[in-house]
Amino acid sequence: MTRQEIADRVINTTARELKMNASDIHETDSFAEDLGADSLKSIELVAAFEEEFDLSVVEEDALKVQSVAGAIEFFDSLINHQ
Amino acid sequence: MDSLHLDQSQITVLEQQGCSASDWQTVTLSPQCILSRIRNAAFSGTVEIGDNTGVIRVDGMEFDCGIYHAAITDCTIGDHVRIANVGSVVARYVVGDNVAIENTAALIADIDPACGNGVELDVVNEAGGRGTVIFNELSAHTAYMQALMRHNPECTRRLSSLILAALRATARGARIGSHARIVHCGVIRNVDVGPYAFLHGTQYLENGSILSCAEHPTEIGEGVQARSFIIAEGAKIESGAILDKVYCGQAVKMGKQFSAENSLFFANCEAYHGEAVSLFAGPYTVTHHKSTLLIAGLFSFFNAGSGSNQSNHMYKLGPVHQGVFERGCKTGSFSYVLLESRIGAFSVVIGKHYSNINTPNLPFSYIHEDEGASKLIPGMTLFSVGTVRDGEKWPKRDNRKAPVKRDLLCFDVFSPYTVEKMRRGRDELLALAESTPKEKPFVTYGGLQINRLLLRKGAKYYSMAIARYLNEKVSERLMNALAHSSDWAVATASLSSDGLLQHPDEWTDLCGLLTPRERLAALEAMITSNACESIDDVNRELGAMYDAYRADEWRYVCDVFRKEYGIEPAALTHEKALAAVEEWKRSASSLHAMILEDAKREFAAFAKIGYGIDRNEEERERDFLSVRGSSETNSVVQKLVNEEKELEQRYQQYSSIILTNRKE
Repeated sequence: MTRQEIADRVINTTARELKMNASDIHETDSFAEDLGADSLKSIELVAAFEEEFDLSVVEEDALKVQSVAGAIEFFDSLINHQ
Repeated sequence: MDSLHLDQSQITVLEQQGCSASDWQTVTLSPQCILSRIRNAAFSGTVEIGDNTGVIRVDGMEFDCGIYHAAITDCTIGDHVRIANVGSVVARYVVGDNVAIENTAALIADIDPACGNGVELDVVNEAGGRGTVIFNELSAHTAYMQALMRHNPECTRRLSSLILAALRATARGARIGSHARIVHCGVIRNVDVGPYAFLHGTQYLENGSILSCAEHPTEIGEGVQARSFIIAEGAKIESGAILDKVYCGQAVKMGKQFSAENSLFFANCEAYHGEAVSLFAGPYTVTHHKSTLLIAGLFSFFNAGSGSNQSNHMYKLGPVHQGVFERGCKTGSFSYVLLESRIGAFSVVIGKHYSNINTPNLPFSYIHEDEGASKLIPGMTLFSVGTVRDGEKWPKRDNRKAPVKRDLLCFDVFSPYTVEKMRRGRDELLALAESTPKEKPFVTYGGLQINRLLLRKGAKYYSMAIARYLNEKVSERLMNALAHSSDWAVATASLSSDGLLQHPDEWTDLCGLLTPRERLAALEAMITSNACESIDDVNRELGAMYDAYRADEWRYVCDVFRKEYGIEPAALTHEKALAAVEEWKRSASSLHAMILEDAKREFAAFAKIGYGIDRNEEERERDFLSVRGSSETNSVVQKLVNEEKELEQRYQQYSSIILTNRKE
């Protein structure tokens, strides 16, 4: 899967879970400060990403991800580099 | 005390000092009594006065002992007592040694007063049906058995008769215990005051007992109004608290106009500003804020946010609904829970919930409101730093100093009680995940919605906590066994369960005391069959349950370890033991890392929003740093960091011991 495909799926999943338009979400956005994802939403997002990419992530690693770009890198690394 | 009748010359002296008596023949004095220290006193009935030499401290000053400006009726007064400036009368009290009663409106007892003992409180259900009798020896557990075991009416009836028998056996007149201080108080009627109690500025007390002791004096402060109550050792009730039919247990703190009726508060509860009605506040129930109403419910190890509220009334058959917040729950600001509800242990409730919640098998959950819907995130507080702090702070904040601690408390956050709930929750969540199609965004469970994506996630969190608990218990036990014998067969044989419990996985929380259900059933049977002949017998059995907790916990661990991993701890090979240590390390490290991340979030950018007002970014950072510090300096975070290192060290040590033993 290309990085762009991963980025699109991360952004679309984020938009769906946070009930936002995908066009309003940017790679530079922080989940907490910019998109308003509190710790409850963070858990739902991790679960949504797992289903989207059909992966099971290490919880403590996933919860360290702070930004959309970070999530893209995280899943790119899991999918393409492991 | 060898009291003597007064001779005529003594009577003359006292009358010249403004004293009078209805009959001087019924007034007796200690031979050591200094007559000049009895002035403007009016005696009636039988009055016995002890040695009044010496001084006593009141308001930080030393005053002579004696009786000044007071009417005394049918009293026995001990040695070195000062009674001064009593508005009306001190009547029918036995006053102990070294007592000070100063500037108090009245201290009056009827003949054979109950002093709050035997009063029945309508707890948990405001409409009644769970009447609980308060008495001096009440514990959270005997109260629980009275209120919440109505499925067994014969047990309830028999327990009630044991309590009444105890009340009859201990009935006595009202007393002011030695070293008590009663200063600047209003009317005190039919109140038994224990040794070393300190009553100051209290407004009105009627029909109560204030238990107190040298080790932990009880304090009743300004503006308190209390009727039909018992207040236990070390409690501090102050600043306008209003109590009507209330029991306050050991080391309870209450004040700032808190009002309570038909309510029980057990060890270390704290209640300020708010209101309690028909509340069964188990140990460590804390409510500090205005507009918080705790009503018609069973709580323990609970923390109420401001404006927390529940409703027990649907305007149909009256206030008949009740709630259960299992141990360790918290409610957020202005949360609302519709009763009937039962919230699983260590859950957090945020927002307003208009459905009847029933989630005992989903402990450690977040219950929140999202666009008007009530939702649950299972297992989320497992990795909240708040849960960790709670588990550590309760034993540290056990303020009870009385020699006998009536409430027998198991503080463990992870216990057979909570772990078994997680096992059930895990299985239920996995079953729901299996049966829920992908198209369905959420499932309904216990009156709440759970995001479908979180079903497996919650089950995973529970699995991690279960694995950590079981494997840590087994690993620790094995290490202890190997310390006593390096013979693997001998060491592992000592891990076997004695099989004493038929159902080691069925536990109950007896309001702070965790015990297998069959032990409670056995106690019920003993009470019902009259094998318990007194309330002391019941308390002894409860003590035995408490003492058996660790052994029972191991019986649970053996049973559930076998169910989870297919092997008894006693049958562990070196390889299986290494796997158990590995599993413990893996699950503990994961949960610990998640907790650490949760703690570090308290130092993220959003946490700095209110800092450095109208200042630049650098000043904002400096302001935050000076007030909150950083994750590198925060003591909680650093403790977590150190624990991670300790965890790694223990893992290395355990593995090394097993590997070394295998070589031998």
